[in-house]
Amino acid sequence: MIIPVRCFTCGKVVADKYEEFNRRVQHGEDPAEVLDDLGLKRYCCRRMLLSHIDIIDSFMAFATVEPTEGS
Amino acid sequence: MEVRIVHKTENEVHFLVEGINAAFANALRRTMLTRLPTMVIDEVLILENTSVMYDEVLAHRLGLVPLVTDLTSYNLPDECDCEGKGCSLCQCTLTLEVEAGDEERVVYSRDLNSQNPKIVPAADNIPLVKLAPHQCLIIEAYARLGTGRENAKFQPVATVAYKNVPIVSVDKSKCDMCGACIDVCPKRILWNDGGTLATQNTLDCSLCEICVKSCEVGAITIDYKKDTFLFKVESTGALPPVEIVERAAEILKERIQIALDFANSL
Repeated sequence: MIIPVRCFTCGKVVADKYEEFNRRVQHGEDPAEVLDDLGLKRYCCRRMLLSHIDIIDSFMAFATVEPTEGS
Repeated sequence: MEVRIVHKTENEVHFLVEGINAAFANALRRTMLTRLPTMVIDEVLILENTSVMYDEVLAHRLGLVPLVTDLTSYNLPDECDCEGKGCSLCQCTLTLEVEAGDEERVVYSRDLNSQNPKIVPAADNIPLVKLAPHQCLIIEAYARLGTGRENAKFQPVATVAYKNVPIVSVDKSKCDMCGACIDVCPKRILWNDGGTLATQNTLDCSLCEICVKSCEVGAITIDYKKDTFLFKVESTGALPPVEIVERAAEILKERIQIALDFANSL
C-alpha cells in the first residue's frame, strides 16, 4: 500500500529514503547508485525500495471523507 | 581486552575488540539487541481516521517510527512508581492532527507533536499515510520505554554484526604474479603493487577464500585472529551508536554480576 517503515529483515528505517529514491530514479539515475548513496548496503534493505509498488493512490480514488462504519 | 574504533558516523560505529572469545562477543551483541531500552509508541488512541488506511495498519506504522530516546528522564514501566499504569515518568504523549485541504497530503513522522520536546521521531520524513482531499486524522499516541526482548520495534539497533579479523598472507616466494586472485576477489583486497602482490583493506575480507582456490601455486593463505572481533553497530537513530555499546556493556556487566552472586549463594 505505502512504503513499509522498516526493512522486514534487519529493521533499518527505509521509508524516509523512498521519496528521494523514487525521484532520482525517475530522473534517470541508476537505481544501484542511488541505493548506495542512501546508505542501503545490504540486499535486504535494497529490495525493500526496489520491489515496492505504491498502490495507496489507487485506493485513494475510492476515498470518502465520511467516517466508515465501525470506526 | 582492548577496544579500538575503526569507523564512526552519526548512526554507525565499527570497532575492534581484542582479547575476547566468540561467546563474549555474542553476549555483547545480544545485549545490544534485546536488553537495551528505547522509547517507542506502544499505544495509540484513534479519535478520527477517515484515510484509506485501516486504524490497525496506521497504529503499526506509528509503532515502527524510532524516537530519540532520553534514557535518564524516563523509567521502564515495570520499575516505575505508578506500577506500569502510565504516568509522566514512564510515558510520553504524542499527538497527530492533520487535515488535508483541497489537495492530497502526505502525513510524515515530523507531523507528530510530542509532549516532551526531547522525545521526537529520529527521522523526520517517514511517510505514515497519504490523505485524499478533506480527509483527516486525529490520533493520540503513547510512547514508553521497552526492550527488544519484548518486541523488535524497541531494538535500538538495525543490525549488530561481528566477525573475526581476517589475516590475508601472501607467500612472495611462491607467487608468480598471474593476477588471477586480483580479478577474482569481490572485495578488492589484493592488488598489484608494482610487480608484487600486495593487500589492502584486509578488514573488508569476507573470508570467502576464492583467491585461495584461484591460486594454482598456493601462495595465498587466509586465516583469522581467534581472539579479535570486528563489530559493526548500526543505530536506528534512537540512541547514538557509541552510547548503545557503552550502555549494553554496563547492562551485560550487571547481568553477569547477578549470575555470579546467585552462583555464590548456592
